[in-house]
Amino acid sequence: MNSGEFSIPLIHNSVSIMTPFLLAGIGGLMTELAGMLNIALEGLILIGAFFSVIFAASTGSLFLGLLLGIMMTIFISWIFGAITLYLKANVFITGLATNLLAGGLTTVLSFHMFGTKGVLMFQDLPKLPSLKIPALHGIPVLGDILLGHNILVYFGWLIVVLAWVLIYKTPFGFRLRGTGSNPAAMTALGLKPINYQMAGILISGFTCGLAGAVLTLNLGAYVPNISSGRGWIALVVIYLGGKTPFGILGAAFIFGLAESFSNYAQGFMNIPADFILAFPYLITVVAMVVMSIIQHQKAD
Amino acid sequence: METYLRMQNITKTYSTTGMKANNEVEFEVRKGEIHALVGENGAGKTTLMKILYGIETADSGEIIFNGETVKINNPIAANNLGIGMVHQHFKLINEFTVAQNVVLGIEPKRRMLFFDNNKAVKSVAEVIEKNHFHVAPDKKISELSVGQMQQVEIIKMLYRKAELLILDEPTSVLTEQEIKRLFITLKELVRQGKTIIIITHKLDEVKDVSDRITVMRKGKTVAVKDTADVDQAEISRLMVGKSVVFDFDKSQDGCREPVLSLENVTIKKRRQERPLLDRVSFTSSTCEITGITGVAGNGLTELEDVIAGLRPVTGGKIYHNEEDVTNKSARELRDGGLAYVPTDRLRRGSSVETSVKENLILTSHHDFMKRGGVFDNDKIDNYSRGLISEYLIDGSVDDPIGTLSGGNIQKVILARELDGAKDFVLFSEPTWGLDVASSEFIYEKILEMRHRGTAVILISSNIDEILTLADTVLVMYRGRIVTKQPVTRELTREKIGEYMLGLKDDYRHTDDMKGDASEN
Amino acid sequence: MQVRIKRSGVFVSAAGLSITLAAAFIVMLIMIFSLSETPKDTIYYFFAGPVTNNYYLGNMLNSAIPLILTGLGISFAFRTSMFNLGGEGQVYAGGLAATAVCLAMPAAAGFTGISTAIIAAVVTGAVIAGMSGFFKMKWNTDELISSFLISNALIYIVDNFITGVLDDPENNLLTTKKIAEQFWFKKIYPPSNLDISIFFIVILAVLAYLYLFRTHQGYEMRMCGLNSEFSRYGGINVGKYMVLPMLISGGFHGLAGAVSVLGTSHQCYKGFSGGMGWNGIAVALIARNNPIAVIPAALFFAYLEAGAKSAMINADITIEIASIVQSVVFFLITAQAIYNFVKPRRRSA
Repeated sequence: MNSGEFSIPLIHNSVSIMTPFLLAGIGGLMTELAGMLNIALEGLILIGAFFSVIFAASTGSLFLGLLLGIMMTIFISWIFGAITLYLKANVFITGLATNLLAGGLTTVLSFHMFGTKGVLMFQDLPKLPSLKIPALHGIPVLGDILLGHNILVYFGWLIVVLAWVLIYKTPFGFRLRGTGSNPAAMTALGLKPINYQMAGILISGFTCGLAGAVLTLNLGAYVPNISSGRGWIALVVIYLGGKTPFGILGAAFIFGLAESFSNYAQGFMNIPADFILAFPYLITVVAMVVMSIIQHQKAD
Repeated sequence: METYLRMQNITKTYSTTGMKANNEVEFEVRKGEIHALVGENGAGKTTLMKILYGIETADSGEIIFNGETVKINNPIAANNLGIGMVHQHFKLINEFTVAQNVVLGIEPKRRMLFFDNNKAVKSVAEVIEKNHFHVAPDKKISELSVGQMQQVEIIKMLYRKAELLILDEPTSVLTEQEIKRLFITLKELVRQGKTIIIITHKLDEVKDVSDRITVMRKGKTVAVKDTADVDQAEISRLMVGKSVVFDFDKSQDGCREPVLSLENVTIKKRRQERPLLDRVSFTSSTCEITGITGVAGNGLTELEDVIAGLRPVTGGKIYHNEEDVTNKSARELRDGGLAYVPTDRLRRGSSVETSVKENLILTSHHDFMKRGGVFDNDKIDNYSRGLISEYLIDGSVDDPIGTLSGGNIQKVILARELDGAKDFVLFSEPTWGLDVASSEFIYEKILEMRHRGTAVILISSNIDEILTLADTVLVMYRGRIVTKQPVTRELTREKIGEYMLGLKDDYRHTDDMKGDASEN
Repeated sequence: MQVRIKRSGVFVSAAGLSITLAAAFIVMLIMIFSLSETPKDTIYYFFAGPVTNNYYLGNMLNSAIPLILTGLGISFAFRTSMFNLGGEGQVYAGGLAATAVCLAMPAAAGFTGISTAIIAAVVTGAVIAGMSGFFKMKWNTDELISSFLISNALIYIVDNFITGVLDDPENNLLTTKKIAEQFWFKKIYPPSNLDISIFFIVILAVLAYLYLFRTHQGYEMRMCGLNSEFSRYGGINVGKYMVLPMLISGGFHGLAGAVSVLGTSHQCYKGFSGGMGWNGIAVALIARNNPIAVIPAALFFAYLEAGAKSAMINADITIEIASIVQSVVFFLITAQAIYNFVKPRRRSA
């Protein structure tokens, strides 16, 4: 196998695999800029994954499934935000609560609606359309890597651009960053930091809903705990990406590459599946420690 | 002149403390005047102004502005009426530019949706030009001096078309020269038809700048005067109910043994042009109070941390009784006889949710062990009660310290730090924000340490405090010591102010000084 | 990786607690009524199930044992303002370590084997959690995220040991071999699983209380949690108290794993510790990080789990209903707004 044949599909797959990290990272960035570490991302992805596929199956429409799944995720993120901000609860504990709720709710509903806590297959579900532009497929390497993904992948890129515009080019973005940087400055001008924190949380509900939908709609099935740590990894992606949308795009790609590589490695190396599953967490924690060492030395 | 603003029967009780901050206060301002609102800390001045600016809501009373009864529920409502407030602690976002800070909340927009940075810079530049401010609209806040930051706060309000400007303790962080410049600005604003309320407790400033004075004491208005009709002594009497003059006996010479010596102490971070501390050298001796002053941002904080063992130095040496203690930990320094009363009482000096007694045993808790390695609670209680009565602390041993008043919190800190034998004591801003009675108590304690033969280092941005207490004064500018002088009657605030601003420097050649001074 | 929001607010008042528990109760009733065909039976089994006979009662008390330990572990971390979110992996790895030791020395005397197994489990848990504390001290790496990630990676690795080298070849279950009988804890309430360790665990909770509130190390630890700047100023080695409480916290979690194996399961099966880590956080929050109060809080959660289990076996709901109720507790337990209005007034300033 020559290296080109091997690496192009690998990178092609990474582009696809990175999408949930990217979307959750962008959502987490919004709350991060508003001064809150959002550990509820994990649960929100799970909610999005479960409800979008359920709704898609029951309505027979991918679009409606996506829409209703996202709305459900935004609703759960609203509960998380309202309790944290209006009832002044500790954001880490309510974040854990959201993750617990997501795990419990999806299992309980799965059991009571479908009689199983296991995998839910939806064979009748149409496939997500993928982007095909024949004219561009001729481009070597780049065409192979960037084209042919499902449309949600491209939607993810659009969201990166939109997030960049929102954060740096709109009044809302300035207020959001102002909230994280010095909430007292906002209050003194009659602006309510809490509103911008809530907005950040709701946006993260939106992007995590989408991230979850990417996982299940692409698969046509729901696997219990399908988010499998992506929300946590996204938190690290935010830091590695220097808390900017395009930085997150880059960091998410690295994680996509890592996961894609470990999937490949499974094929031709004799690595136990458990280690493959542990790999994303290990690489994330290593990345995180290395990052903090670099930052620590910069601060000196 | 006509009445512009009238606040009637304003009463405000804080639910968290149960304290009546304002008790049927009457306050009246005329159009086009500079009105000084004076009183001690806790007299209720800031509360009254927060009510006017819509940050706090009064329990009862009414506000008549421009002849109409108004309800002001939030700062935006105040801005819409033409009322603006400049807070004592700046409310700025460091990573934004001047213009971005100014327009926050009422941003100019492009195509209905986007932040129009060019327009923001342009319109802020207009306000700056019209009022002769010295600050560039596209500079980041983190690059500004303290005086410029304050200008940004004023620009914010002028951009919002404020006609009535409230300034809360505007001079507390400024140098003499910056204060003069501020007052020129204020007078210029009045000439343009604005009205100004200035909250302060510095009496000379009141005389300098104001037309009329309202004096508050314990939540009530006690007097309204034309500035021309009263002298400082009378204002002081009205403020505190009695005239307070600090005059301490500082005799007792001899006894000057060096205790703590700093030699060329430097803190320089990588990739940073200017060191935070630049070859700082001085010696603190027994029976001597070494006063160190300077403007915020010139190395006082770093020096405080270094002496307390809370921050490592990158160059130079520190000796305690001729023993090298450079970069020793706080624990080791304390074991060697350091006591330290920090600037930040609520975050560093005390643990607000913790009981008074647990605050008192922070540095001595090893001494209260019974056999078996557990605390002797009776011994801790007795010790704490003893200190509470000795230091006249109003509070009991089991109260969380955060429920005490500022003066009492500082007394708890003093009690902990000064009890027992100490070699040297570091005080930093010991009376900042405290009332006159507490300040006097603290001054007596500082002098008592000096009499006991302890070496005292007093870091303070309050020049009067330095002149009252210190034997020697050092001034810091840009991380360096720029002068060292004995405190005499001839030494004035103005002279020290010149050093604080970098206009004078005893240790540097005149030609490389120009660059520094012109940047200010 | 600095988290700007202060991690305080993990202390709650009694009033907040009762409102929280009432809300959890209501949510549970709503769920039972909407999901169950036979809500009355379900409610009966949920509430009465755990106490209807000695077997259920004993098992419920038994399942409180690891919860007391994980609750104590989390209390130490929270008291010092350290967030240990890796409890799940620490319990699991502790259990594995204890099992491995017992399997490695099948002929050892009971006491030797048990004490070696316990030490191995405690050290394993302590090292895992201690890493996060160490990274935090050394490079300010966020311990909340790192402890979670490390723990999650470890869960898969422990899985691999259980189904790999330590797997019992005689059956197809995902479990290790059974440990030798001389290492089993003595049962005290047959036929239930309740074992003798409960007495030691209660004593341990009391010792933990004394350590935290009556010793100078406990004092320094608490001060670091309440205000680390203050502690640094007072000459306390703050870095030490990023590592030490994580070591203690991890040690308690490892112990919980060992006690589950030696006392109850006598082997390490895949996922045996699932939920013990998260429950520990809930227990510590309800107990307001007070080691003595951890005991009733753990009993409450054991009751909740046992109720859900009993309802699952006897009625038509699934056990995960307990995690929804738990999430309600998590959501509200730190909410200041629900207890502020009953807070006593402060003294006048």
